[in-house]
Amino acid sequence: MSTRRTRSLVPYLLILPTFVFVAAFTIWPTINAIYTSFFRQRLNVARFREPTFIGVENYVKLFHDPRFLNVLRNTFIYVLGTVPASIIVAFLFAWLVNRKIKGVGWVRLGIFHPTILPMVSAATIWMFFFTPDYGLFNTTLSRLGYQGPQNWTGNPHLALLAVMIVAFWKNAGYYMIFYLAGLQGLPHDVFEAAVLDGATTWQQLRYITFPLLRRTTLFVTTIAFIGAFQTVDHIFVLTQGGPSGASTVLLYYLWQIRFEYQDVGKASAITVILIALLLIFTVSNFMLSERKEEA
Amino acid sequence: MSKRWLFTLLSLLLIGSFILSACGKATEAPATQAPATEAPTEAATEAPTEAPTEEPPAEPVTIQFFYPVAVDAPIADILKGYIAEFEAENPDINVEPVFSGGYGDTYTAIMTAIDGGAEPPAAAVLLATALYDLVNADAIVPLDGYLDQMEDKDAYLNDFFPAFMENSTYDGHIWSLPFQRSDVVLYYNADLFKEAGLEPPNSWEAWGQAAEALTVRDGDNVTRWGLEYPSGWPYWLFQPLAIGSGQNIVGDSDTEVYFDNPDVIEAVQFYIDLSHKYHAMPEGVQAVWGQAPTDFASGQTAMIVHSSGSLRGILDQADFEVGVMPIPGQEPDTYASVPGGGNIYIFKGAPQEKQDAAWRFITFLTQPKYAADFSINTGYIAVRQSAYDLDAMKAYVEQVPQALATRDALQYAGREFAVQDLGEVRNIFHDYLQKAYNGEMTPEEAMAAAQKEADAALEPFRP
Repeated sequence: MSTRRTRSLVPYLLILPTFVFVAAFTIWPTINAIYTSFFRQRLNVARFREPTFIGVENYVKLFHDPRFLNVLRNTFIYVLGTVPASIIVAFLFAWLVNRKIKGVGWVRLGIFHPTILPMVSAATIWMFFFTPDYGLFNTTLSRLGYQGPQNWTGNPHLALLAVMIVAFWKNAGYYMIFYLAGLQGLPHDVFEAAVLDGATTWQQLRYITFPLLRRTTLFVTTIAFIGAFQTVDHIFVLTQGGPSGASTVLLYYLWQIRFEYQDVGKASAITVILIALLLIFTVSNFMLSERKEEA
Repeated sequence: MSKRWLFTLLSLLLIGSFILSACGKATEAPATQAPATEAPTEAATEAPTEAPTEEPPAEPVTIQFFYPVAVDAPIADILKGYIAEFEAENPDINVEPVFSGGYGDTYTAIMTAIDGGAEPPAAAVLLATALYDLVNADAIVPLDGYLDQMEDKDAYLNDFFPAFMENSTYDGHIWSLPFQRSDVVLYYNADLFKEAGLEPPNSWEAWGQAAEALTVRDGDNVTRWGLEYPSGWPYWLFQPLAIGSGQNIVGDSDTEVYFDNPDVIEAVQFYIDLSHKYHAMPEGVQAVWGQAPTDFASGQTAMIVHSSGSLRGILDQADFEVGVMPIPGQEPDTYASVPGGGNIYIFKGAPQEKQDAAWRFITFLTQPKYAADFSINTGYIAVRQSAYDLDAMKAYVEQVPQALATRDALQYAGREFAVQDLGEVRNIFHDYLQKAYNGEMTPEEAMAAAQKEADAALEPFRP
């Protein structure tokens, strides 16, 4: 009896070092954020500098604030717009370059290269692409017959799309690498058998490739979703969240509230909302995927 | 058996705590060792010549000096040179310059350190407009105590350009001194003006007409704009329009704004008119702060409104005569501008001897000699008026007369926008100003809404 109980300690000891770091840098700050979100603390107001307990007032105020609701709306558009698009395109790229053609190495490099750029450099390059009149993006578009507004980063209807385009351009190549690795790990004999049985390309994709890549997809959707919530560097460079808040997303707003408004309580409440959103997605993504696996 | 596991667990914990403490030491080591390793060289070179018989000099104080880089100039190298000269004169002080990103990053870094209970740098360059937030956060100390000890206090203070001191005073104290300062100016292509027989504009109307005359169209396409006027982060460049219209958006009070004043609304309308009435400027919000100087230098636009800090870059690129002037006002022969840039602050969290050392460093840096040198090497305006009487400065403005124009614009400058709760109030103003620029609201509606929200944000700060 005693041997059994002590032996079960081994795995806990093995994860102890990781646990210490996760506890110190993830779990503790999370608990701390939840705690401070129930307090009013504003560092730039002398009499609110010391925290006062106010219950859920920070949350109530946030959900009655049209600015915050607009930020949530922008965030959903941003995430739902960039994540599926970049994953689908990443798969298409991976599928296209996963074959033996001359020069395929260059094509892979071409698709992958935005990934190795820091986000700030990528955004700076795109700032020049987006320049009205002579920017590369606008001249290309107008050659394709586009006649709409060219002021991508200053137009309230285009600014969010502009930062989404940059995120898409930056990430599709990154996710492609995971799919490429997944595709190259697939067994050849299954496909050969399928071809012998007369399966079309679409049938091969639908009944062999997609199911076998499910774990890759789970991984890619998870990191893509979390990444979409976390990447705001390009917004600092391209639009500063503007014009009039049109391209402000959750994490950027969190930064503004914490460091421009110096409102610790409200910033903590936004942090909790952000963590909750990420948890809801990640857990449901895992559960959906696991259920499919069982079925 | 279970005892063995307990032993293993305990030893692991011990190892863990050892590693943690070692990490702590490893990061602290450079800070504590630096003075020790540098002290002997200082003592060896300075002590025998200056004080051969007195007791050996005390352990030098090491202070950190945080600075942001916001212009295209080798600020780090320039500062290193000044610090070397300062340390040679003051062997009992070591200054450790810390480059800390942009203004926002520097502010964030220092405030985070203070929140976390760490010691802030003794001195740092932050935006002049950060004053109220810094005072409310109890982060900085007033400089009056030091200034009162100066023999030439009034002469010293009065030698700074008054416009640069506008955001230094609060609650009856002086909290900061100007260091890297700029203002808003109008850059115009003097060659194009000459060709078209135009004079530099002296009023809004003349400005709009000149911009219209210099706009070149090829069918529907504009091949050269008359004017580019960045508005991605709009309050600063907008202020000269409001001042030129007769009412700055901010007054002497730290809790009042004048967004819905009729003159301010007229100023918003004039910005829109430049596109809609004179057709001389791209429509809507122009998020082109970074490109505007290049567009101007390469002839894509005949004029830009920009920071005086861009002068050097523009002169390096442009192959035409660059004109620099204050922003024209609404009435003939009136002009306007607004100062910008960073002041030096001393932080409360630093020990007293470090604060004292920081003050000596500040008085060193603000000497006319260094103000002039800094201006010549960076393009910033020298913060001391007497700097312009120095030979080096005279030789410089002989070569680059535009540098005098950036200084002269200061006489038309109003106070830079700074109020309590600046981050929030500025965001409100930006949102509605951009809505007006983009035609989502009329200037009247937008400014009325901005005033209402700003008043609500400022209410808790009012007496």
